[in-house]
Amino acid sequence: MKGTLQYITRRVLTSLLALVGVSLIVFIIVRVLPGDPARIIAGLLATEEEVERIRVAMGLDRPLPVQYWDFVTGLLQGDLGTSLRTRRPVLVELVPRLKMTMLLATTGTILGSLLGITAGVVGAARRYTRLDYLLSSGSLVGISMPVYWLGYMLIIVFAVNLRWFPAAGADEPSSIVLPTLTLAAFSMALVARMTRGSMLEVLGQDYIRTARAKGLAERVVIYRHALRNALIPVLTVIGLQFGSLLGGAVLTESVFAWPGMGVLLVNSIINRDYPMVQGIVLVYAVLVVLLNLVVDLAYGWADPRIRYD
Amino acid sequence: MLLHHKGSPGFGRRAAILAVAASLLLAACGGGGGGGEGSSAPAEFRIAIGIDPDTLDPAGQTTTTVQNIVDYMVDTLVDIDKDGKLKPGLATDWEVAPDGLSITLTLRQGVTFHDGTPFNAEAVKFSLDRVLDPNVTVPIRGSYTVIQEVEVVDDYTVRLHLSQPSPALMAALSTTMVGIISPASVEEHGNTYTNYQHPVGTGPYVFKEYVPGERVVVEKNPDYWGEEPYYDRVIFQVVPEAATRMSQLLSGQVDMIILPPVSDIPSLQQNPNVEVLLAPSNRTIYIAINNNDEVLSDKRVRQALNYAVDKDAIIQNVLFGAATKLDAPMAPSLFGYCPVGAYEYNPDRARQLLAEADVENLTLDFIAPTGRYVQDFQAAEAIAGYLEDVGINVTLRTMDWPTYVQNIQQPPDQNDLDLHLLGWAPGYLDAQQQMVQFQLAAHPPNGLATAFYTNPEVEDLLERASREIDVETRADLYCQASRLIMDDAPWIFLWYQSFPIVYSKDVTGVSYLPNEMFDAVYARPAN
Repeated sequence: MKGTLQYITRRVLTSLLALVGVSLIVFIIVRVLPGDPARIIAGLLATEEEVERIRVAMGLDRPLPVQYWDFVTGLLQGDLGTSLRTRRPVLVELVPRLKMTMLLATTGTILGSLLGITAGVVGAARRYTRLDYLLSSGSLVGISMPVYWLGYMLIIVFAVNLRWFPAAGADEPSSIVLPTLTLAAFSMALVARMTRGSMLEVLGQDYIRTARAKGLAERVVIYRHALRNALIPVLTVIGLQFGSLLGGAVLTESVFAWPGMGVLLVNSIINRDYPMVQGIVLVYAVLVVLLNLVVDLAYGWADPRIRYD
Repeated sequence: MLLHHKGSPGFGRRAAILAVAASLLLAACGGGGGGGEGSSAPAEFRIAIGIDPDTLDPAGQTTTTVQNIVDYMVDTLVDIDKDGKLKPGLATDWEVAPDGLSITLTLRQGVTFHDGTPFNAEAVKFSLDRVLDPNVTVPIRGSYTVIQEVEVVDDYTVRLHLSQPSPALMAALSTTMVGIISPASVEEHGNTYTNYQHPVGTGPYVFKEYVPGERVVVEKNPDYWGEEPYYDRVIFQVVPEAATRMSQLLSGQVDMIILPPVSDIPSLQQNPNVEVLLAPSNRTIYIAINNNDEVLSDKRVRQALNYAVDKDAIIQNVLFGAATKLDAPMAPSLFGYCPVGAYEYNPDRARQLLAEADVENLTLDFIAPTGRYVQDFQAAEAIAGYLEDVGINVTLRTMDWPTYVQNIQQPPDQNDLDLHLLGWAPGYLDAQQQMVQFQLAAHPPNGLATAFYTNPEVEDLLERASREIDVETRADLYCQASRLIMDDAPWIFLWYQSFPIVYSKDVTGVSYLPNEMFDAVYARPAN
C-alpha cells in the first residue's frame, strides 16, 4: 500500500512537469497558425479600425511572453482565461461540455467493453467455429465502419423511420442512445479482437492445462483462470479507447449535435479562440494523465503479481 | 452469460462492475440535460440552426443567423420587408432635412420593454450612443459613425445629427446592431454596459435561456405592441451538421431548418411532408481577379475569364438551383441595383479576347474556401475546368477560413494571388455597402476590396452617390457605376446565393427576408 502511494506521488509530480510542457506547446501552436482572431471574430464587414480595437481589447497586441505569463499565472489561480469569441470565462463554457463528453465517453466505453469482452471470450472459447468467424468478421466491420456513416444509418433507421429516438441534440434522456451505440460499435470491435487474441494466448499456457487436468469445468477454466490474466492488455485498450473517446468523439458529437467538448474544440480552432483551445487541450492533458494512472493501478487489481515499487 | 459458477471469489467483483455500469447507464439516461416538459405543453416552434451564437448583444452582431434570433427579442427603428423595402418599426415616421445633415424620427407611443420600462426617445439615444461608444465591442460600427449626435427633441421625437449627408443611413438603421434595448437592462440579469448577454427589447418574444452549444429559448411577449404571434415558445437548436438538421426535420424533432445539405434540395422538393423555400439573398458570390497583376490588369483578359465560365450550368448542376446568375455587381434586393447584363457563356469569345490581348500559356493561382458558401469549393473546381477549356492553366487550392482571410487581405506588394472566390453580403440593403468593393479606399490592408480594382470615373460616381439625397439621382449614379464596373470586369461575376429554408408542411406562415434571414415570427399550424 505504501509502495502504491509513493508510486502515485511520483507519477503526479512527473505529470505536473508534463502539463507545464503541454501549456507551453499549445500556447505556441495556436499562435503559429495563420489567421487573426480579431478579424475572424469581427467578420469581413468590419473596418480595420474596429478590428484593431478588438485586437487591443483582447490583449492580443501585447508581447507573447507577457501573454504566456498571464496564461500561466491565471492557471495557477484556476483561471483558464476568457473566450475571445463569447467573452465568457473559458471554465464556465468548458465544464458543461466536459460533463457531456464524459457522459457519452463513459456510456460508450462501458457498453462497448461489456459487449467486446463477451464477444472476445466467446470467440476464443469457441475458436474456429462458425460463431467465432461471425464475431470476428463482425468486429472487422465495426472497426472499419466510418463513425459518420454508422451515425447517419442509425439516425435514418431509428429516428427518421421508426421514430424511436431523437435524431440529435441532448434535450431528452433518450437522446444519448444513438450516439452511445455509435461509439460502442467501434470500442466493442476493438475490445473483442484484443480479448480474443489475449485469451487464446493465455489458454495455451501450462497452468490452464493444469487446471483442465485437475478436472475443472471448462467454464471455470475460462472465466476464473484465463480471463483474469487475459484482461491486462484489454484494460490497456479500454483505457486508451476511453481516452480517445474523450478527445476524439468529435465526429460523433458533430453528427448527433451532442454539445460536447470535441465540437467546441474544433469550433474554437476554426475561430482561433486561443484561450478556449488552450483550456480544452490542457483539460484533455489532465484527463489523459489521470486515466493512465487509473489504468496502471487497475493492472494491479487484475493481476496481483504487479507491484508498484 | 458472464458467470454462473457459485463460490467464485471473482463473482462479487464482477457483479460490482456490472452494478456500477448499470447505474452509470441509468444516471446517464437521467442526466441528458433539459429533462421532460410540463404536462400541458405550450405551443412550441423548433428551429434547427447551424451555429452556436457568439453573443446576443445586438450591438456586437456579425452573423445573420444570430441576428435572426436577436430580432425575435429586440426591435429596430425601421424594418425591411421581403423585397428589402423600408417600413416603420419603432419609428413610425422619419424626415430627412433638406441639407441631408439631420434626420428626425417620430417614435411609436405606448410601447414597453420586456422589463416594463417605457420605450421612448431616451432609450433610443441610449442604444445608439452605446453603439457609437468605442468602449463597446461593435464590429460593424463603421455604418453608424456618420451620426455625430443623437438629440432627444421630446419623449417621442429623436433627431440624428450627421457629419455629412448619408442617404444610406435609414437602411443601416434597420439592422440588429442598432436594435433598441432597455437602458435599465444593462445593469440587470448579469449584464454590464460592455458585456450584454441577456437582451431586453420590445420584440414579440422575450429572452428565456441560452444553453451554450445547445439552444436559445424565447417566450411570447404578452405585451407586444404589434400583431400577436401564435407560438408560446420558440426554440433555436444548435445543430452543426446540415444532414443532421435535415434528419431532425424529417423525424419531426424540429419544425423548421435552415441550410439543409444542398445536394438534398431536389429530394426535399419532392418530399410531400416538407416545404422548401429558396430565399433570394443579398450575398454575391464572385471570383476576385487581382487587378494589379501584369496580365490580369488587361480588361480583355478579365472579360475573357467572365465569358469562359458557364454560370447557368454550375448553378444547375453544382448548386442544385440554389443561386441566381449576377447581371449587375450587386444583388437585386439592394437599393441602387439595376440590371446591366450578365456575361453569357461564350468560350469562343473568351479565346478571341485572350488572343487579342496576346496571352498564351497563362497560369493562374486560384484559391477558394471550403464550406463557407454554398458549394464553394465544388463550384471553384467546375470554374477551374471551364478556364482550362479556353487554354488557361489553373492551380486550385483551398485552406481553412482564418488562413484564407489572412491570405486575401495581404497588402498589394505582398499579395501574389491571381484569383480567389469570395461571398459578400452587405450589412444593409444599400448599394453603398456593396460598392466599397470597388473603391481604392477599401483595398487591403484597409478593407476587403481584394480585387484591387479602381477606376477614377467609378470612384467619382460612387463618391457623389454616397452624399446624394435625391433618391432617383442617387439610384441613377449607382446604375452608371454598375455599367462601368461590369464592363471593367474586376471580378468573375458569378451569382447571388439563395438561402434555403425547409419547414414541415404542418406549419404555415414561414417567409424570408432578403438578407439570409428567415421570417417565422408569425408561423402557425397549417390547419
